[in-house]
Amino acid sequence: MNYNLNSPAHTAQKTSTLAALKKLFRFLEAEQRTLILAFLTIMVSSGLNLTGPVIIGYTIDHFIQHHDYQHTLLFCGLLLLVYMTAFGANYLQARIMGGIGQRMLFTLRNAVFGKLQELPVAFFNQNKTGDLISRINNDTDKVNQFFSQYLLQFVSNIFLMVGAGIFLVSIHPSLGGAALVPAAFLLIFTRLISPWVRRKNAANMKSTGSMSAEVQESLNNFKVIIAFNRRDYFRKRFDQVNKENYATAVGAGMATNLFMPVFGVCAQLAQLIVLTYGIYQVANGNFTVGLLISYLAYVNSFYTPIRQISILWANFQVALAGWDRISQILTLQSDLPVLAGASANGHSHTDTVMEFKDVHFSYPDSKPVLHNVSFQLQRGKTYALVGPTGGGKTTTASLIARLYDPTEGEVMLNGKDIRIYEPAERSGRIGFILQEPFLFTGTIRDNILFGNEQYAAYSNEQLAAVIQEAQLESLLARFEGGLDTKVLTTGDSVSLGQKQLIAFIRAVLRRPDLLILDEATANIDTITEQLLEKILQQLPDTTTRVIIAHRLNTIENADEIFFVNGGEVTRAGSLDHAVNMLLHEKRES
Amino acid sequence: MTACSSCSSKPTLHFSTMQTANGKKHASGKKPPKISALIQPYRGLVMLLILLALFANGLTLVLPRLIAYGIDAYGSGHLEIKPILIWFSLTTVFIFIFTYLQNIVQTYASERVARDLRTRLADKVSRQSYARVQEANPARLLTNFTGDIDTVKLFVSQAVASIASSVFTIIGAAILLIHTKWQLALAVLLIIPLITMTFMMVFGRMKALFLKAREVLDWLNKVITESILGAALIRVLNAQQLEYHKFLTANTNARDIGLSIMRLYATLIPVITFIANMAMVTILALGGHFVISGGMSLGDLAAFNSYLSILIFPIILIGIMSNVIAQSSAAYQRVQQVLDMPDAVDAGTIQARLRGDISLQHVQLQYEGKPVLKDISFSVKAGSRTAIIGPTAAGKTQLLHLLSNLSQPNSGSIQYDDHEITAYNRDTLHTQVGLVFQDSILFNMSLQENIAFNDTVTPEAMERAITTAALKDFVDTLPQGLDTVVSERGTSLSGGQKQRIMLARALAIEPKVLLLDDFTARVDNHTEQQILQNLAQYYPDLTLLSVTQKIASIEHYDQIILLMEGEILAAGTHQELMQSSPEYVQIYQSQRSTNHYELQSK
Repeated sequence: MNYNLNSPAHTAQKTSTLAALKKLFRFLEAEQRTLILAFLTIMVSSGLNLTGPVIIGYTIDHFIQHHDYQHTLLFCGLLLLVYMTAFGANYLQARIMGGIGQRMLFTLRNAVFGKLQELPVAFFNQNKTGDLISRINNDTDKVNQFFSQYLLQFVSNIFLMVGAGIFLVSIHPSLGGAALVPAAFLLIFTRLISPWVRRKNAANMKSTGSMSAEVQESLNNFKVIIAFNRRDYFRKRFDQVNKENYATAVGAGMATNLFMPVFGVCAQLAQLIVLTYGIYQVANGNFTVGLLISYLAYVNSFYTPIRQISILWANFQVALAGWDRISQILTLQSDLPVLAGASANGHSHTDTVMEFKDVHFSYPDSKPVLHNVSFQLQRGKTYALVGPTGGGKTTTASLIARLYDPTEGEVMLNGKDIRIYEPAERSGRIGFILQEPFLFTGTIRDNILFGNEQYAAYSNEQLAAVIQEAQLESLLARFEGGLDTKVLTTGDSVSLGQKQLIAFIRAVLRRPDLLILDEATANIDTITEQLLEKILQQLPDTTTRVIIAHRLNTIENADEIFFVNGGEVTRAGSLDHAVNMLLHEKRES
Repeated sequence: MTACSSCSSKPTLHFSTMQTANGKKHASGKKPPKISALIQPYRGLVMLLILLALFANGLTLVLPRLIAYGIDAYGSGHLEIKPILIWFSLTTVFIFIFTYLQNIVQTYASERVARDLRTRLADKVSRQSYARVQEANPARLLTNFTGDIDTVKLFVSQAVASIASSVFTIIGAAILLIHTKWQLALAVLLIIPLITMTFMMVFGRMKALFLKAREVLDWLNKVITESILGAALIRVLNAQQLEYHKFLTANTNARDIGLSIMRLYATLIPVITFIANMAMVTILALGGHFVISGGMSLGDLAAFNSYLSILIFPIILIGIMSNVIAQSSAAYQRVQQVLDMPDAVDAGTIQARLRGDISLQHVQLQYEGKPVLKDISFSVKAGSRTAIIGPTAAGKTQLLHLLSNLSQPNSGSIQYDDHEITAYNRDTLHTQVGLVFQDSILFNMSLQENIAFNDTVTPEAMERAITTAALKDFVDTLPQGLDTVVSERGTSLSGGQKQRIMLARALAIEPKVLLLDDFTARVDNHTEQQILQNLAQYYPDLTLLSVTQKIASIEHYDQIILLMEGEILAAGTHQELMQSSPEYVQIYQSQRSTNHYELQSK
C-alpha cells in the first residue's frame, strides 16, 4: 500500500469546503446537547445586542426629538437592563463555545495520534519524520487556533449578521434589500476565491513540512555534517527550502489578505446606499430621520460582523487547509487487518511454530525482495539466517513478526494463518530484537518494561528479582545507575552496544515462543556476547530462536542454518556448507 | 509607536524570568533583546506599512463625518446629494487601495523578516560544534526554526500596523469627539482606562497559564516524535496502547490548561463589550440631555454613536496585540539565545597535507562528570594499521570522535604529525580524516549526493570509493543507479548496504587517515575481506584506525590497542598481546572457535 502522504495520489484529492466541514464536525457529535445550549445563548445574546440600537433609535425619535427627558432616562434604564442581560448571555456563550472548541481539539489530536498508532511500519518508512511532525504539530495547531480562538467569534458573528440582516429587511424591505446588495456580491466573491486561498495555504503548509523535514534531518545527523565539512551544504540546502517557504508564504498571505479590503469596501458601499436611498425615502415621507440614524447603525451591525467574518474566514481557510492534510492521515487504513472469522484460540500443539508457504514480497515501488520462499521452523530449535547484505534476511524476519504481509503466499504461526491472530497475542508469542535499537526518553526501567504489562506494577526490588531469575543481572550491572539510569532518545549518552543490551533484556523478559535477533549483538563485544549466548540457551525448551548475524561464532550453535541470498532462502546442510555458499554463491545484492 | 514599545516592555520582563527558570541564563546585567530591534533593518518597509495603515484608518474616520453632514444638511433643508456621493465614493476607493497595499506590504515584510531570521539561525547553527548542538537539543532547535519564528512573524504581520493604526484611530476619534462635545466626550473616553485595566488584570493571570501551555506542548511534541522514531519497536511489542496512553495524559493536560485559558477569555470579551455598551447608555442619557437642552445637534448625536463604534475596536485590538507582542517577544528571545551563541572558533591555521602520524598524550575525557577516557596515550605511524578492541561502552567511539575533532578532551594532547589537532584548520582536517560512523546515517537525497557529501569530490575519487566499498554491483542493479534517492529510514537498503555507503562517503574525500567505528559489524565476512583488500590496493598510504570486535581480521595489524572502561589495558601486536595480556587472550578465546572458518575465507 502506498502510504506516502506527498505522493500525487494523496495530494490530488480535492474536497469542497462543505465536505471538509462535515467531516470536521463529526468530532462534535458528542457535544450535541452543549451545542444546542450554545446556540440558544448565542441567539439570546445576539438578539439582545440587536435590541440596543432599536431602543436607541426609538428613544431619539420619540423622546429626545420631543424633548421628553423623563422618558429618555427611563429608556436609558431599559437599555442598561438589556446590556446587563446581554453580558450574562455573552459570558455563558463564551464559556460554552470555548469549552466545545477545546474538547474538539482534544478529540482531534487523540484521533490523529490514535490513527498513527494503528498504521503499520510501512507508513513511517514512506514518510519523512520531520514532515509528519510538522503535520501533527503545525497543521493541528492551525485547526486548533481556529477552534480555540475564532470558532466562537465566527459563530456569534454569523448570528449577529443574520439577525441584523433580518432586522434590516423587516423594518424597511426595500431599503434593507438595497443595503444587502453588497453582501450578496461578497457571497459570490468568497465562493469564487476561497478554493484558491485554500490551495495557496496548502502549498505553504507543504513547504513548511519540507523545511521542517530538512532541519530535522540535518540537526539529528549533525555529526556527519561536521565530520565531512558540509556546514556550507547544510546552509545551502536550508537556504533553498527557506526560499521556497518564503515564496509560498507570501503567496498564501497575498491570497488570504484579499478578503479584508474587499469586505471593507462592501460595508462602506452599503452605508452609502442606505444614506442616499434613505434620505430619498425620508424626503418622500416614508421614513423618519430618527429611523434613518438607527438604520445606519443596523447597517453597521450587519457589516461589522461581516468584516470580522472576513478575517475569520481567512483563518478558516487556513484551518481547512491544515485539516485536509490531517485528514489525509485519518483516511489511511492499516494494510495489516486481523482476519475475522477464524479463531486463533484452541492452541494447536504442532511442532511447527512458523511456516512460510510460497512467500513473495516486495516493498512498494521497488523490485521484489523475496520470491517463492518456503520453510518451517520447529519448536525449541535454534535457526540462523546467514547471507550477504541486502539478501533479504531482515525482510524475512519482518514478515515473521508481521511488520508486513507477504504480497503472495502465506505465513503460518502455530499452523494457522498469522493474520488471524490479535496483535497482542502475536507480539506476545513473537519477540523481535530490531537491527536499529531505539530508546525512549526516560529510565532503563521504562525501556526494558516498555510494552510489558506483566511487570509494570513491580517495584524495583521485585523487578530486580525477576531479572536475576532470568540471569540478566550482569547485563544490567553495566549501567551505573541500574534500573533508574536515565536515557535519552537522541544524543550519545548510551552507546550502540548498550542500547542493544537493553533491547536484549527487554525481549528476554517477555518470554516469547519465538525470538528473532536481527544482528542484535552486532556492536557488542564477543565476551559479553558469550554471556548473551548462555542466556539464550537457558530459555525454556519450547523457545524457538532465529538468529541473524555475520559473526560465525554467534551462529555455530544453531540447529539449522538458512542461507538467504537474492530473495531466496535455502537450507544449508552444515556450517561449512553455509560458509561455502557465503564465499562462492553469486551475490545478487 | 511609543504606545507600542510601552506595552511590549512589561511582558518582555516577565518572559525573561521564564528563560532563567529554564536554566538558560543571560549573562547577568545584559538586557534581553527587544523585539523592536528585530525590525531595525526593515525600517523603510515598516514605515511604509505604518503610513499605509494610518492613511487607511484616517480615511475611515471621514465617513461618519460625511454621514452626519448629510443628515444635518437634510434636516436644515439644503442637501445636495451629488457632492456627498462623490466624496463618499472617492474615500471608499482610497480606503480600499490603502488597505490592500497595507496588507501586501505587511505580508511581504513579515515573511522577509521570518526568512532572514531563519537564514541567520541556520547560519549560526551551522557554525556550532557538535557538542553545542547536542546541548542545545535538536528538537528544541527545530521548534526555534518553525514555531518560534512563526510567532515572531506575528509581531510584524499583526502587531505593528494594528497598534499604529489603533493608536491613531483612538487619538483621532477622541479629538473628533472632544471637538463635537467635550463634556460628553470625556464621559465616553472613560472607557479607555476601564478597558485597559480589564486587559491588564486578565492577561496578568493568563501569563502563568501560557507558560504551562508551552511546556505541555513540548511534552506532546516529545511523545509524538518518539512514537514516530520508535514506530517499528512499538509495533513489534504491540505497545501502541501504551503510547496512546502517554499521549492521552499529555493531551488531557493540554486540554485542561486550554480550558483554564478559555475561562479567562470568556470573561474578558463580555466585560469589555459591557463597558463599551455602558458608553452607549451614557451617550443616550447625557447626549439626549444635551440635545434636549439645545447644546448639541441631532446629527452630532448620530456621529457620537458612530465614533463610539469606531473607538471600541482599536481599544480591543491593542489589548489583544499586547498579548501577541508578549508572545512574539518571548519567541524572539528564544531565537536570539541561539543567535547569541559564540561561533565555534577555528583558531587552527595549519593547512598542510597530513602524513598521518597520530599521537595521543594523557588524554582525559569526561561526560556529565563521569570519566569516559582516562589517561590515554599511544601513537600511530603514518601508513600503519591500528585496531582498537574492547568491550561495550569502553570509550572507543568517543576516542574516534576526539580524533576527528567532533569533541575535545578535558585534558591531554592529540597531535597529527607533531602538531596539536587544534592547530589545524578545521576544514583541512575534516577533508583529510575520514570517519565511518557506527550508526548508519543517510540523508534523504540521491546516493550520489550521499556519497559525494563534500563538494570537492572528483568523479574518479567517487568511482574509487564505490569500488572499494564493494558497492559497484549493488549500484548497477538500481534502475536509476547513483541517482536513486534513499530515505532516512530507507527500508530498501539493508544494514550492510547502508554501512558500505557510509564507508564510500568517508573514502570519497580521499582521506589520509581513516577512522572506522565497528565498520564490519553488519557486513558479512566475505564482503569484509574484499573491502579490506580493496583498501590496501586503492589507498596504500592510508593510516587506518579501526574499532572492531573481531580479532581474526586484525591479527596482522601493526598495533592492537585493548581499551576497557576508558583505560588502555594493553597495546602491541597480536603476538605480543597473546603473550602479555590475559584479557586479550580471553577475547581471543571467545572467538577462537570461528577462526577455522575465518582462515578459510581469506
